[in-house]
Amino acid sequence: MNGTIDYLPILIQFVVAFGFVVTTLIFAGIVGPKSQGVVKDLNFECGVESVGNARAPFSVKFFLVAILFVLFDVEVIFMYPWAVNFREFEIEGLIKMFFFMGSLLLGFFYVIKKGGLDWD
Amino acid sequence: MSNGSSITLDAPPIGIEGQGYFLTSLDQVVGMARKNSLWPLPFATSCCGIEFMGTMASHYDLAQFGSERLSFSPRQADMLMVMGTIAKKMGPILRQVYTQMAEPKWVISVGACACSGGIFDSYSVLQGIDKIIPVDVYVPGCPPRPEQILDGVNRLQELVQNETIRRRDSPEYKALLRSYGIDIK
Amino acid sequence: MEVDKQKVVDSLIQQFEGNVGNIEETYGLTTLQVRKSSIFEVIKYLKEEQSFTLLTDVCGMHFPDNDPEMQFAVVYHIHNLFKNIRLRLRVFLPADNPEVDSMVDVFSSANWQERETYDFFGIIFKNHPNLVRILNMDEMEVFPLRKEFPLEDGGRIDKDDRFFGRSIHNE
Repeated sequence: MNGTIDYLPILIQFVVAFGFVVTTLIFAGIVGPKSQGVVKDLNFECGVESVGNARAPFSVKFFLVAILFVLFDVEVIFMYPWAVNFREFEIEGLIKMFFFMGSLLLGFFYVIKKGGLDWD
Repeated sequence: MSNGSSITLDAPPIGIEGQGYFLTSLDQVVGMARKNSLWPLPFATSCCGIEFMGTMASHYDLAQFGSERLSFSPRQADMLMVMGTIAKKMGPILRQVYTQMAEPKWVISVGACACSGGIFDSYSVLQGIDKIIPVDVYVPGCPPRPEQILDGVNRLQELVQNETIRRRDSPEYKALLRSYGIDIK
Repeated sequence: MEVDKQKVVDSLIQQFEGNVGNIEETYGLTTLQVRKSSIFEVIKYLKEEQSFTLLTDVCGMHFPDNDPEMQFAVVYHIHNLFKNIRLRLRVFLPADNPEVDSMVDVFSSANWQERETYDFFGIIFKNHPNLVRILNMDEMEVFPLRKEFPLEDGGRIDKDDRFFGRSIHNE
């Protein structure tokens, strides 16, 4: 009978790898030479003076499309276990899943009516 | 197909070799690591840029020496390859790009125009980029053949191998930069 | 095409009596000299009445050996795409006050072309929206393509005069 203790080498290896990276980065940052200057620390703009702020407001349609995709993708994820155990769930599972999908479909109709997916 | 004697291996750094170990100095190891992974910033302006494209292509293959990843951002590049005519109007831009590179950085000036203005001895062309930034290797030619550009990179690799690791922090180096008007603390 | 070109030139002469003259034909390109005061009207007339819709180029010239009244010239190359007629118009300007009207209201492409002419010759274009240097450094104070400007860069100390034909043997 093998217990959790058999997985200890993996933990040690993970700690060593992660620790090596962190230690070398911190050590190099402390010991290494530094070089700063006014011009050097400016934002890179292909060698010319930068004008204005990079933070410009952009259209909300990108955010809406991304968020709706995430929601409906999670719904599809919930449908995968149902697909695997379809026969075991019989009619009762079917009805329950229809409830689930129906409530999300209501939300979808709301989005369409409100014009959330209009690109222009 | 071919006999193995046509292949020459690169010389190892200065050190003592033994059974399963190699004793050398940190400068040499760091130099060897740096010289075999010099990532270029191709500041290609003119015809020499086209020759550089030929050098990066598969026949002459600059990537065989470690210059696999080109970057057009100075923050991520080791060596600045200035290839082509630099006009006087372009000078401050080149200076800014060089200043914004992270240490350690090297400069190769490829082609006659970048080295000395080339045939363009006129009001608009900067007569050599070493008027505005410090240059490590000059590759003459109009344009230089890809073999010459590869030779320039190899000479730079020798410089990189033998550089001390504290050079970039030294007062002489900072004085060199200040003599070009590049203000580094 | 030749007939059309002759008709255009004749209508120009008829329309702008006394302000257009000196018609020459060099290498198949008809050149007219236009007086400075009426160049704007001439180009506007050519664009609107004669459908010369392409202003190919606006450039300058410097003749230091001419009379002081005719030292600078602005040359307009204008093209009728419908009948394939190309014309060249020259305006001579005095040396002490090289000013001429800007064509920006008629042709938008004249914007940068006049900036280039100003950058290299110092010819001022009145009513130009942004008459600053375009190809040279902004800090430059001289106008490089004038004949008195030296050909070579002045900052070099390593030139061997023999290679430039300037030694005592081939002076």
